[in-house]
Amino acid sequence: MTHGVHKPLIFISDLHLQDSRPELTDALVRFLAEQRGSCEALYILGDLFEVWLGDDSTCRCANRVCEALRDFTLSGSMLFLMHGNRDFLIGEHFAAQCGAQLIQEPYRINTAHGDIILLHGDSLCTDDLEYQHFRKLVRSAKWQSEFLAKSLGERKQFAKQARAQSREAMATKTEEILDVNQQAVLDYFEANACPRILHGHTHRPAVHSISLEQPIDGKSEATRMVLGDWGTLGWYAVVSDDEWELKRFRISS
Amino acid sequence: MIIFNTNHGPISIELNSEKAPKSAQNFLQYAKGGFYNGTIFHRVIDGFMIQGGGFEPGMSQKANHDPIDNEADNGLSNLTGTLAMARTADPHSATSQFFINVSDNFFLDHRGKTAQAWGYAVFGKVVDGMDVVNEIKSCQTTSKAGHQDVPVDDIIIESTDVTED
Repeated sequence: MTHGVHKPLIFISDLHLQDSRPELTDALVRFLAEQRGSCEALYILGDLFEVWLGDDSTCRCANRVCEALRDFTLSGSMLFLMHGNRDFLIGEHFAAQCGAQLIQEPYRINTAHGDIILLHGDSLCTDDLEYQHFRKLVRSAKWQSEFLAKSLGERKQFAKQARAQSREAMATKTEEILDVNQQAVLDYFEANACPRILHGHTHRPAVHSISLEQPIDGKSEATRMVLGDWGTLGWYAVVSDDEWELKRFRISS
Repeated sequence: MIIFNTNHGPISIELNSEKAPKSAQNFLQYAKGGFYNGTIFHRVIDGFMIQGGGFEPGMSQKANHDPIDNEADNGLSNLTGTLAMARTADPHSATSQFFINVSDNFFLDHRGKTAQAWGYAVFGKVVDGMDVVNEIKSCQTTSKAGHQDVPVDDIIIESTDVTED
């Protein structure tokens, strides 16, 4: 961004939308109406939906979200959609229906504050070896095309089993292991030569300032901003010419 | 105001007795009684927080007073430079240990009255000496006596000044 005043960029993630929690879809619809036309772009950094079994498997909330997003993009704001660990099967078809452009992580954007790398965040949880193995498998093109070729019933059965196994595994893991690995974060800054990352996934909203041993891009401190999941509170980040901030608002008590 | 004179320099703290009366009173009581003198910052995680107020060099734990009520629902947020009470999984278990946030740790804020959502009670902030805090947060850490993230070289509160204002 080199000249003029720009409209802000907005970032959200981890809404985990599902039919059984209509208040979250309501909150998104209200949020989109408020941001409509006043931002340059909205980035959704993964886990917009609690589960996504393929673009042919729709739910009530998906139809509503699709309509609201399409309406949002008609205002002139761009919409970028990144996969999360739950909705990584969102395809080009659904994205196009929403007026969104699918983006792959790590996605680098240029802002008034320098480059910021966007990602969902699960790839930073390197302590969880089992999960990283699973992630590699389900993110492969071969696994995905085989999975999507199955009937919807078979896919639903698989998702049910995966969730049960995940719940079982979560119960035995300590809290630390589910957060990002600090060394993985430091390596990430260095490998990408960028001292700024923005992600979700961990449900631990924060703005971390981390000292760097070797300055990157002239900075001795790196910033890792973490978006929060939507529940009683909603979270979003704003990047404008003069601020880079994490904000929250009340959804329900 | 409370001033911790550490071996890295002084850290001045202002308590918020209005929003966190019980936590502030509790902290002041420990500070006035000299409890924190000779204690270390025993858990230091850059990008998160520095925790102290409960251990002496060699990781021996100090005996403390009864736990206090958790005042995390006071509307104060765990922003960079704020002090909050450390505790166990039980929300109302804080005694002498506290931490200084070195990031905006919103996920530590109060979200509800269940054990998981209670959050951590902010009761004060660093008004001078954040340079000292930042020096401490970047120190090298290791595992000691079953504890992780313990500074390799002891970071000690050598003395405490309490001023009335």
